[in-house]
Amino acid sequence: MFTDKFKDQRYHLTEEKAALALDVLRQRLNRQLEASLEVCVRCGVCAETCHYYVSNPKPEHVPAYRAEQLRKVYRKLFDPLGKAAPGWVGAAELNQDMIEQLIMTAFGSCTMCGRCVINCPMGVDTRQIVRTARAMLTAIDMTPEGLKATVNVHLESGNNMGVSGEDFTETIQWMEEELQNEVCDPTATIPLNKKHADVIYTFNPREVKYFPYLIQAAAKIFNAAGENWTLSEESWDATNYGLFSGDDSAARQIARNLEQAVNHLGAKTLVMAECGHGFRSQRWEAENWLGHSYPFNVISFVELQAQYIKEGRIKLDPTRNTKRVTYHDPCNQVRNGGIIEEPRYVLRHSVMDFVEMEPHGAENYCCGGGGGMLSMTEFASERKAAGKAKADQILATGAEIVATSCHNCLDQLDEVKRHYKLKVKIQNLSELVANAVIWPRSPAVASEDQPASEPV
Amino acid sequence: MDLILITRIIAIVGLAAGLVGILLRLKEIMRRPFKKDLARQRGKPWRGILFAFTLGMAPWEKESTRTHWIAYLRGIFFHVGIFTAFAVLLASPWLEALPGWLAWLAAAITGLGALFGYTGIVMRLSGPNERRLSLPDDYASVFLSSLFISLACVTLLWRPALPAFYIVTGILGVYLPVSKIRHCVYFFYSKFFFGMGYGRRGVLGQSRGKFTE
Repeated sequence: MFTDKFKDQRYHLTEEKAALALDVLRQRLNRQLEASLEVCVRCGVCAETCHYYVSNPKPEHVPAYRAEQLRKVYRKLFDPLGKAAPGWVGAAELNQDMIEQLIMTAFGSCTMCGRCVINCPMGVDTRQIVRTARAMLTAIDMTPEGLKATVNVHLESGNNMGVSGEDFTETIQWMEEELQNEVCDPTATIPLNKKHADVIYTFNPREVKYFPYLIQAAAKIFNAAGENWTLSEESWDATNYGLFSGDDSAARQIARNLEQAVNHLGAKTLVMAECGHGFRSQRWEAENWLGHSYPFNVISFVELQAQYIKEGRIKLDPTRNTKRVTYHDPCNQVRNGGIIEEPRYVLRHSVMDFVEMEPHGAENYCCGGGGGMLSMTEFASERKAAGKAKADQILATGAEIVATSCHNCLDQLDEVKRHYKLKVKIQNLSELVANAVIWPRSPAVASEDQPASEPV
Repeated sequence: MDLILITRIIAIVGLAAGLVGILLRLKEIMRRPFKKDLARQRGKPWRGILFAFTLGMAPWEKESTRTHWIAYLRGIFFHVGIFTAFAVLLASPWLEALPGWLAWLAAAITGLGALFGYTGIVMRLSGPNERRLSLPDDYASVFLSSLFISLACVTLLWRPALPAFYIVTGILGVYLPVSKIRHCVYFFYSKFFFGMGYGRRGVLGQSRGKFTE
């Protein structure tokens, strides 16, 4: 199984690589990690909390089993009985077999969604254990090819899809024109590199490349709210796959790019696009990677939309969204980010028929697309199989639209929809909001009172 | 020296060794860096910590414990048995002075605790996941703890069992810091970090947010 997927010589463990991987474990061993490595009693009640296990119930899909793979290595290094009687406490050398186990479990069957963490009676943070295993593997160049390439492209080109600056600005201009045509208002703009804006917005490169209408949707909401906002040409990619590869150095560099862009423009708030891991990276992890706090706020676009509605800055007509809608909580926004009520508040104001899937909120199942899974084609069939838990959840709601606020979730849900033949449409939350927005100025008034803006 | 005194010394020496071992473990974990979170908090960490150590441990609070409520309650009663057995150990020199109702209550709790302990071994052997996950140390630790509770129960009902109770206590003390039983120390750390992390992020144990309708 392993050799079918990983034929390259770089997946062969040498003594130097083993020593380096163990060094990474030693360096990363803090109190939080040690507590999680020590406290598990292997009760196995975490089994059904994992979407991999729910979709394919076998012992290898129990979260505790995954964490055990790194624990074996840890015990061999740090446990007195692990050194003296390894078989008694399940300690193991970091050899080729162990490395293969780590790759297959840490990269191949865990999205680090954290559902097992909130369900563990002992408080074991399996996310942290799995990310540590990934960090060890990345340090010895054993990251699956697609994930490695995504991080490298981001470091080299400033965004993870290698979108050129020219393509970026042309797309923004195009979307500005589209927006002006849509709302019949030439004052609607997409400002670029504006100094001292209240809000600087980011998005996923997929929006520029494949889904530019999502840029238009966001711009419509910002304009309707009368926001003092901007984009930055210097850095605009919300994603950070360093979170998934476990490479803190790469993650730090990517986070720094955005930080510098915000500081150079002097913006007050960095608004992360509807990108689950991007939000988590920049909001919760980046300052720890960088070693200092930001002088600005970081919030999700989901939070901002809820705020606009609450403050009456945008008016919505939910009758424009009449179909039944359910919401998929992206793990990195809800469980790992605390954004629980906001998307529900937004949907209750922008659609006629909102129904929850069960379970939802912090207990929601991962769709299977987290943890960088979509970039690791080696595990595509397992990823689709793991989406069954989500497919069953969606089916039970009877919804026609599944809204979410994460691009990895959008992609995975789209595959789940096709794989399990679900008759639903997968949409971004802001698409539904933008569709319900009542434009604050009538076209006639807008064109008479305010001059059309020059294209950026 | 009589048998009780000799075995009592064994128990004390074993427990002292266990205590030293646990202190060394504590020293080890405190030597590790504490990962301070620099991100601005969204929720209150103290509420998360409070939740982790109180309501968060209720059997109905987590999906996992709702699904596996039998296993979870078994574990709870097993641990109540362990704590009661330690109380019996502390009171062991003065067992004759214990009120009858208290001795019977303690015997009932430890008896049930022991039963649930041995049941845990059966559950580990019978469940495919549990069997795959379990290590020799898991069986040894649960067995030793269950034996300790059993002997507390028997001692309450039949005083001549006291030396055996002391001997098993000594063995348990020595085994504690090198086995999985040491989770009793790490539990407080992991629950604290769990509560603090999810409290900071506003995920668990927080009051209703401004967008709750």
